[in-house]
Amino acid sequence: MFDAEKFINQTVEKIKKDVSGKALIAFSGGVDSTVCAALVNKAVGKQLVAVHVDTGYMRKNESEDVKKLMKTLDLNFRFVDASKDFYQALKGVEDPEKKRKIIGEKFIRVFEKVADGEGVEYLVQGTIAPDWIESGGGLRDNIKSHHNVGGLPKNMKLKLVEPLRDLYKDEVRKVARELKLKVSERQPFPGPGLAIRIVGEATPERTEIVREACDIVEKEIERAVEKGMMERPWQYFAVLMPIKTVGVHGDKRAYGNTIAIRAVQSVDAMTCHYSTIPHDVLDTISTRITNNLKEKINRIVYDVTNKPPGTVEWE
Amino acid sequence: MVRIYVIDNGGQWTHREWRTLRDLDVDTEIFPNTTPFQQLQNEEIGGLILSGGAPRIGLESDLGNCEEYLEKAEFPILGICAGHQFMAKFYGGWAEPSKVPEFGKVEITLLKDGNPLFEGVPKKSIVWESHNDEVTRIPKDFEWLAESENCKIQAMSYKKKPFYGLQFHPEVEHTQYGEQIFKNFVKMCEK
Repeated sequence: MFDAEKFINQTVEKIKKDVSGKALIAFSGGVDSTVCAALVNKAVGKQLVAVHVDTGYMRKNESEDVKKLMKTLDLNFRFVDASKDFYQALKGVEDPEKKRKIIGEKFIRVFEKVADGEGVEYLVQGTIAPDWIESGGGLRDNIKSHHNVGGLPKNMKLKLVEPLRDLYKDEVRKVARELKLKVSERQPFPGPGLAIRIVGEATPERTEIVREACDIVEKEIERAVEKGMMERPWQYFAVLMPIKTVGVHGDKRAYGNTIAIRAVQSVDAMTCHYSTIPHDVLDTISTRITNNLKEKINRIVYDVTNKPPGTVEWE
Repeated sequence: MVRIYVIDNGGQWTHREWRTLRDLDVDTEIFPNTTPFQQLQNEEIGGLILSGGAPRIGLESDLGNCEEYLEKAEFPILGICAGHQFMAKFYGGWAEPSKVPEFGKVEITLLKDGNPLFEGVPKKSIVWESHNDEVTRIPKDFEWLAESENCKIQAMSYKKKPFYGLQFHPEVEHTQYGEQIFKNFVKMCEK
């Protein structure tokens, strides 16, 4: 069985050997990067700088919460608001692979800028097994280019350190619990963020729509879980589709976009079953989204696809 | 501690096979399918898993040195998905694109009682699938062990050596008795 305590000891020793200068960690505030930061912090202490990038594709209040988290973890941190840059880079881009690659490269360029100014040699990433498996290479097919693997630019100056490469999410959570990190149970959120929850162009306006819809889905599902109405899904969110359909709002014709509700049960993200959300909960989510986003959204659908054949995120 | 290696044919779940073995306290590593048999022999392994791989790989490619492993090994071998299809073709059976491929949740039915690989597995159970191709003719000297609605040859075993082929994926979390099947295979490798 996976032994979190042993893993922590071995990994800290290995990082001490491998990292001989200043290191920068790409810090999203999720379980993987927080565990990574804690491990590298144990090994090299103040030699580590944590960098959080607000890409503009974060969830509601997320970057503010991450700032607080970095303070409580006693990390030496930098906060970079690069949202304008990211929006600009994704202008007119619809292809999901292109989105992922542009985002992957943007991240690295932001990190390099910080690194140059501070004499950093190493880039620490919370890459886990599904990231490199799905990115493909050699005999393995590319399913999607994870921004931190398949999305990395070829010309990169920083040396990569990825202590969690052989772990799956459930194992990272075990390590997080062992390290007493509060984020241990946080639901996964992909590095490219809301950009891959918008089918089609990820404009700032469309990002606002999906941000609001994701927030409603999260809050309503969490409320239902607290009330004991359903099992807590592994991951749960909203996806914005570019499909327009006809509706009726206050005796007037409406013609707006569609939101899909996605929630899955999984252990390691390699296989998933769609979550069974009670109809009462779906009903509340549907009404809240369409009423809150009335100009934009007038239809809600529920995604009942397993993995395979689907993947968790739509892009 | 028994040593079982995973041969990587490029599957999405190769690393999951490694993890499942490690969780069962098996001494395990992933090796590329170009590894010479002699090297595996030198490491005194108790068994081998031939992983799945991207579409068509079991049909068109020679899967590295998998042929050599099947020819020379006396220890148990478990072929999964592309590994299973390759095994069928190597022994004179046939594999081809599925009329109805299977992705995700499928129910399989066991056809024979008492096979050691399926010890403790009920007659009907849920497995997770992901295949475009399948075995359509079982080789001579092989036993037919399981089927599903859309894929007849879900499991088979060789009568002359402890070799097994599975079309479904026992290594993933959502296959109901996957861990049990792995435990049974590990038990064979310990002998």
